[in-house]
Amino acid sequence: MLISLNWLSDYVDCPLSPERIAEGLTMGGLEVESISLRHPQLKNVVTARIEAVEPHPNADRLKICVVSAGGLELRRIVCGAPNARAGAVAPLALPGAELSGGIVREAKVRGELSKGMLCSQKELGLSEDHSGIWILPEDTPAGIPLDEALGIKDVLMDVGITPNRGDCLSLIGIAREVAALYKTLARYPASTVEETGPPVDSLTSVTIDDPKGCPRYAARVIRGVKIGPSPDWLKNRVEAVGVRSINNIVDVTNFVMMELGQPLHAFDFNRLRERRIVVRKAEAGERFTTLDSVERELGEGTVLICDGVGSVAIGGVMGGLNSEIGPDTCDVLIESAYFDPVSIRRTSRRLGLKTEASYRFERGTDPGGVLRALDRAAALMLEVAGGEIASGKIDVCPNPLKVSEVDLRVDRVNRFLGISLSGDEMKEILERIEMRVEKCEPDRLRVTVPGFRSDITREVDLAEELARLSGYDGIPVTSPLAAVHAADSDPHQTVRAELKNLLVGAGFFEVINYSFISSGALRMLRYSEGDPAVPAPIRVRNPLSDEQAVMRTSLLPGLLNNARYNIDHRNENFKIFELSKVFLPRKEGLQAEEVHHLAGIMAGKRVELALYSDGDVDYAETKGVVEHICAFLRIDDLRFRADSLPPWLDPSASASVYVKGERVGELGRVHSEVQEAFDLKRTVFAFRLDFDSLFALRGPVPVYRGLPKFPPVPRDLALIADESLPVEQPLDFIRSLKEPLLESIEIFDIFKSEQIGEGKKSIGYRLTYRASDRSLTDEEVNTVHSQLIGKVTARFAVSLR
Amino acid sequence: MKKAVENLLETACRVLSGLQDDPKAFELARVRFLGRKGELAQLFKELGKVSEQERREAGRLLNEAKSRLETLFSEALDKRRELDAARRESIDVSVPGRRPPAGRLHPITQTATEICRIFNWLGFETVEGPEIELDYYNFEALNIPKDHPARDMQDTFYISEDVVLRTHTSPIQVRTMEKRKPPVRVIAPGRTYRRDSDVTHTPMFHQVEGLMVGKGISFGDLKGILTTFVHQMFGPSVGLRFRPSFFPFTEPSAEVDIECVMCRGKGCRVCKGTGWLEILGSGMVDPEVYKYVGYDPEEITGFAFGMGIERIAMLKFGIDDLRLFFENDLRFLKQF
Repeated sequence: MLISLNWLSDYVDCPLSPERIAEGLTMGGLEVESISLRHPQLKNVVTARIEAVEPHPNADRLKICVVSAGGLELRRIVCGAPNARAGAVAPLALPGAELSGGIVREAKVRGELSKGMLCSQKELGLSEDHSGIWILPEDTPAGIPLDEALGIKDVLMDVGITPNRGDCLSLIGIAREVAALYKTLARYPASTVEETGPPVDSLTSVTIDDPKGCPRYAARVIRGVKIGPSPDWLKNRVEAVGVRSINNIVDVTNFVMMELGQPLHAFDFNRLRERRIVVRKAEAGERFTTLDSVERELGEGTVLICDGVGSVAIGGVMGGLNSEIGPDTCDVLIESAYFDPVSIRRTSRRLGLKTEASYRFERGTDPGGVLRALDRAAALMLEVAGGEIASGKIDVCPNPLKVSEVDLRVDRVNRFLGISLSGDEMKEILERIEMRVEKCEPDRLRVTVPGFRSDITREVDLAEELARLSGYDGIPVTSPLAAVHAADSDPHQTVRAELKNLLVGAGFFEVINYSFISSGALRMLRYSEGDPAVPAPIRVRNPLSDEQAVMRTSLLPGLLNNARYNIDHRNENFKIFELSKVFLPRKEGLQAEEVHHLAGIMAGKRVELALYSDGDVDYAETKGVVEHICAFLRIDDLRFRADSLPPWLDPSASASVYVKGERVGELGRVHSEVQEAFDLKRTVFAFRLDFDSLFALRGPVPVYRGLPKFPPVPRDLALIADESLPVEQPLDFIRSLKEPLLESIEIFDIFKSEQIGEGKKSIGYRLTYRASDRSLTDEEVNTVHSQLIGKVTARFAVSLR
Repeated sequence: MKKAVENLLETACRVLSGLQDDPKAFELARVRFLGRKGELAQLFKELGKVSEQERREAGRLLNEAKSRLETLFSEALDKRRELDAARRESIDVSVPGRRPPAGRLHPITQTATEICRIFNWLGFETVEGPEIELDYYNFEALNIPKDHPARDMQDTFYISEDVVLRTHTSPIQVRTMEKRKPPVRVIAPGRTYRRDSDVTHTPMFHQVEGLMVGKGISFGDLKGILTTFVHQMFGPSVGLRFRPSFFPFTEPSAEVDIECVMCRGKGCRVCKGTGWLEILGSGMVDPEVYKYVGYDPEEITGFAFGMGIERIAMLKFGIDDLRLFFENDLRFLKQF
């Protein structure tokens, strides 16, 4: 909310600088977001008296004005205005002044140095008048800042008001805060209403049919007003806080709202049919045209202000076109009411219509302040628009106003805050914000809360007031006393962190992508609509864009977009991964199933440094990462099979990953169509794993086995086989024989050559034999080894090399 | 004998000086002269044949020759080692190293980890919660009823009428208290969502929530724990202040500002000239919240706090554009 310090000074004396006031408000809970001059463009603009006018030697239409702008020095100003004459006082923009047309500089104009610029009102941004320089009254002293001379010097503060502090959405509200912080009192505006007209009851009536939505409605009638522009003081006030000046009557309602925080409405009394007011609930589907000429459909229960025939305003939100104050209005009914905050908020949200009035009502206005505002408005209207005020006022308030009383236990509040104020000190602080405080027991205060503080209903609310008014800074910093307690650590979190570190150690960079993906992302991964393998993603009802329309069911779209971004930015060699949640729809319950996936993309060279480059990433590299992860998790029985592949993988270089027979993910070369769909300029490899499955399948804490005491005996086996024979098959077969002396077996080379023959390959296996209780002899090993060879050659169509 | 010894020494000198860089040849030469069956040993054997008068003198000569030979060989060995070393050092040390691969954790992960670690030290347990959250946990049970202006503070993504993308990590407070009896001390990092996207907002971001409730926990304790955190995170000399604010689920509420880490409180672009940076929101848990989880507000008090991880990471690393976190540009990720 924008606050004018000039205006504020009508209600509170605060001789501090704007910065100090801002600091005080901020530390009291009203954050001052900015401080600015009301007219920043008038900085460096002063009043100047034209002492003499000389012709310009080089230009007929220009003159040289010799001016005094304070001090003894005279300045020569080049000026083209026809009305510049000796003896006149006019605004002078000094070099450095930042006018809307640009920064004023000392400059030569047609060869003559001009030390500033005499200005028109338009040049100063104060009006559209550009007929000449602005001639100020003769008695204006020369050499003082123009805004001071005009009495429009003002500082504006933008104060952030939290939703609980509706009472601060007014000048008087801010003044009360300033007063409380500096231990003084705010002054409420006094208004004496000269009632010279007939009794108001003889002119109109108010009926409330919806006492819940509108607990109080007060009105006055003023007749014979003359609608016109507001006087300068009024216009200046409302414009200072960012309200457009409309006419004298409307400006008064806005002025009082800004001043007291009570929104008012002025009806053209003669346009109210039957000249009376009825407050009722709208019926479903009822329509109404508001002041802004928009016809709106109202929801059931909207508080409607009606005349004797139909609706004339949406209560607490906006008036209607049909009863608007116009140039010909002569009689006015002023409405000052209290509306239920929840009802106003519902209406405002439903209609998408947020007004200064609804903003205040939904934050809670002061039901007790209704009459003060009504009287203030009536008195001001009389002052600025004339007419006569009907005697008396209408005040319909079906239920008595509640007085809020809250008990405060001094000791408990002290312990809660960690302070030690006495009951008297608390009383003094609370009285500063207009609370009435009685000491009812030694340790107990009974606090009567003023109507404008609807946010205070409990002891804890009073504790907050005490804390902020005595200053958070003054509360001692303490260490809580707590029992020593070993925080459990969640193994899921731990393993996630460990895996991330493992991948980082393997050269991967972690990425973080949005949880939403585009609704077309799965199609880009070549999934067809309704594919039972992929659940339809959860939709966001109100996404920011189609790119973020659904919750991701896969990490791949995000990673592939990262890949595109990086390739396009010439980061061509990379390994990236994401270990994060995907969101699967649940058959039952409202929420999603949130599961962790781990996926990565690899592209470009295996080793970044060209010097040591040994080729591009490939299937084996990608598979190696998955093996590395599984080894880390102590997962055995890890299998790779080229079946059940998702459509985004190229089936010629991809595999599904199985652990103990359970499919836990996949890896391989990204399908060329997917590569195209994501606009990737390079082939990339990817892996994806169900982290939660891996987590569940991870191996237990290992049990130590004694180290071997006797030497190993290696033997090689080279087989020539059909190219189509998976190298793993003979290996698995040998393992399945469970030869007790065979410690391990690995593949040490695979090659093809002309010698071996077309369609054949040579596979080299290294078998390591060892006994735990003796050194093996060559004969012993040779026997076992040749037996194994015999079984392998019998089992597979292979020959020995 | 004397002659033989002189011959031997002379030959050994010649052989040694004629040796190339071959370590085998060196060893052969050593065995030839100094070995157990070497030429010197042969001469020692012949000592028996020498007459008794000359034997003493001959023995002295042989012993001298032995020590002379040993010196010669050990000097030669030293020299060879020096040569070897010199040869080894002659590789081009400026050739780039062959590094093991190394990536990096995302700066948000690094920052979240650091924040959580500080609170783990203080006995807070790390817990997590769902991101697709019930309106009840995200708002209702945090004392943000429907039709309350406080809902304006956060623009919400909806999945359905009753299900939202959590707008903060605060629902974890409620979920944790529902499950546990006090005392409770937890820290909860996670992703959060608000319907906002511009230079300073991304629709998804990260928060860390903290909660400490039990008997006799005061606002002074809130200040104590958060002061410790700020000093651990930003250094012990960084000033901080607690400023009254409003959150529907805490009362009293406080924003915590730290002295601007860029300008040290003098006022700069980052702190918009104020010298202060807002880094976290906090407050004493509102009694209304305890009612939702079945705690007795007369008996139990405590505090909660929440902070944006991106904000802390930006301050920590001097990052000036929020959107960089989600572009995942390798040139960015490699810097942390």
